[in-house]
Amino acid sequence: MRTKRLCRVGVSGESEVPLDSDMMIDEEQSILEAQTSSAVEELKLAVGYQGKGVTQKRVTALRELRRLLSRSEFPPVEATLKAGAIPLLVQCLSFGSPDEQLLEAAWCLTNVAAGKPEETKALLPALPLLVAHLGEKSSLPVAEQCAWALGNVAGEGEELRNVLISQGALPPLARMMLPNKGSTARTAAWALSNLIKGPDPRAATELIRTDGVLDAILRHLRKSDEELATEVAWVVVYLSALSSVATSMLVKSDLLQLLVDRLATSNSLQLLIPVLRSLGNLVAGDAQTTNVNVIAALIKCLKSEHRVLKKEAAWVLSNIAAGSVEHKQLIYSSQAVPVLLRLLSAAPFDIRKEVAYVVGNLCVAPAEGAGRPSLILDHLISLVQRGCLPGFIDLVRSADTEAARLGLQFMELVLRGMPNGEGPKLVEREDGIDAMERFQFHENEDLRNMANELIDRYFGEDYGLDE
Amino acid sequence: MAMAVDNTDSNLGFRYWCPVRRLFGPDAPFFASGNIERELLAKQVALDLSEDEKQQLMGDEENRGVYCPIVGCGAKLKSLEEFEDHYNARHTASCSVCSRVFPTSRLLSIHVSEAHDSFFQAKVTRGFPMYECLVEGCGTKLKNYKSRHQHLVDKHKFPASFEFLKKARPSKKRRQKSQRKQPHRTEEGSSAMQVGEETMDGLVSAVSKLSTSDSSPSSISFGRRHNRGLTFVPRAVQRERRPGSSPTGMER
Repeated sequence: MRTKRLCRVGVSGESEVPLDSDMMIDEEQSILEAQTSSAVEELKLAVGYQGKGVTQKRVTALRELRRLLSRSEFPPVEATLKAGAIPLLVQCLSFGSPDEQLLEAAWCLTNVAAGKPEETKALLPALPLLVAHLGEKSSLPVAEQCAWALGNVAGEGEELRNVLISQGALPPLARMMLPNKGSTARTAAWALSNLIKGPDPRAATELIRTDGVLDAILRHLRKSDEELATEVAWVVVYLSALSSVATSMLVKSDLLQLLVDRLATSNSLQLLIPVLRSLGNLVAGDAQTTNVNVIAALIKCLKSEHRVLKKEAAWVLSNIAAGSVEHKQLIYSSQAVPVLLRLLSAAPFDIRKEVAYVVGNLCVAPAEGAGRPSLILDHLISLVQRGCLPGFIDLVRSADTEAARLGLQFMELVLRGMPNGEGPKLVEREDGIDAMERFQFHENEDLRNMANELIDRYFGEDYGLDE
Repeated sequence: MAMAVDNTDSNLGFRYWCPVRRLFGPDAPFFASGNIERELLAKQVALDLSEDEKQQLMGDEENRGVYCPIVGCGAKLKSLEEFEDHYNARHTASCSVCSRVFPTSRLLSIHVSEAHDSFFQAKVTRGFPMYECLVEGCGTKLKNYKSRHQHLVDKHKFPASFEFLKKARPSKKRRQKSQRKQPHRTEEGSSAMQVGEETMDGLVSAVSKLSTSDSSPSSISFGRRHNRGLTFVPRAVQRERRPGSSPTGMER
């Protein structure tokens, strides 16, 4: 999946208004390519020109190319490269060039970099200059456009990320994220999220250690508009997923509450996704992290209509439920349980699987050393009485190995734990034996053995004989 | 995986539910739908989704293609729902006499001959090779249960340690003979074709009642899938038919 972004509208709001500013170019591909080639030809002439009005010539030529690359439905990137535009664009980026020229050249490069892998890689010669123009002496629109181009390059893959990092792209981008508002901060945050996404955690660690970054993150999540907060939240996603240094710094800060507040107050799916995931990463990384507010915010996500939110909220709850007995009780005594039970019977498969983790984790005490973890009987009994068993038996029937294993494991809890020998009867009533028999000829040895052990142990010689 | 016989021993080798935190890397498939959503919401038209990601977009595992996990089947289904239909249609052949369930009609029919058919038994006693090889397409017939087992081991690489003739453990024996909530107990293979209880037990194990205590990886090819390991382990549970379910034939 491409995480690059085409720039169709310029970064600075006050750019010139071309006559056809709102119209998409609707030319046939071959005509488009011809226009592109000739635009590059013009650029070549302009770059070679030394006389009076040189800037205007260059800017005009650049604009034409930029127009083709930003207003066409399928920007003619290949044609641009074939015509030899890159060296020309690099020349247009040279130090001391007028802002307009820098801006247009960076814009062209941005959209070339938004293309296929080899097209993005074609920007290699331009990278040092793009990084240089992030500097604080640059005008904001120029810096932002360069950041956008670099964000696309970073989005291509690990190799290019490493190149950018070794060329020193991270500190200036981090600095650009510090101001309280503006599209520059937002673009910089987005570019950073591409730059630090690893898999090597070092960039993430370097970022969180950069002066002012943690403070800026908290500030943006507390006060900034949703668009900016969204991109910053994605930065937090990657920080918390990759860098344990970052996670421990973030956990010690106010971040948790800020994330919870955003979850509670926002309705923008775009924002909620990374905020929820950041919360999830923090919880996954640090067992202590939770409180009633967190649970409440997660419940809101469970009730959302958006599948991603439901699934990831259930995942977070499952991690909380994997914690201490107090954590389990927090969830168990909250409004989460009715919602979870409903989801377990009616939601799409991927959500049901996550919910199964929550419910099961609520019923089992934290493992202490080797040996079988003990049951939290009152949770188990109550949840089974409220009808959670059929949902698990359904999972046993699915073709998904992990889900089937969850189902069998939960059945074992029921068979073992329900008092008065009720377990086997309940399981049988819900067609659990039938579900387990499916594993007779299943190719997965683990599952076969599990199912067979349950049948042997609980539906063996004594079963049903003393009625 | 060792199986303890002692019922008080909690270590059955079963993988008990153990609450653990689950971490996912940022690019893990688990997060794919959220990542895709991010790009869609940012109105980026060209996404270049991988096949996997496209399926995620259409609803995660529900629309993900699955392979039927029943040994020897290999069917590719387009979704979990389709898998359900496929399973119910193809893998639920049950014996009308003893309620054992088999994954294919062929195995069911082998079972019925070997366990419930007096003519079959008669021919066996007269020395005809009646015990078919279980591997579809082989066609070999052997004179007795044991030599069929040997054939499976020699020719089809069934694990030798599988005890085809192992006396059924008491619990299984009882289970086979008792029917829940039924005042009269029907014997296994209820008709007059019983040759003797022990032989009956052996026959009842006809379609290879294998112990699951064998943990050796198997390299048997079964059915169409020649490279798949298989531990052929049928386990039927004797239980009362639910009211409303069809008592005869192969439908469930």
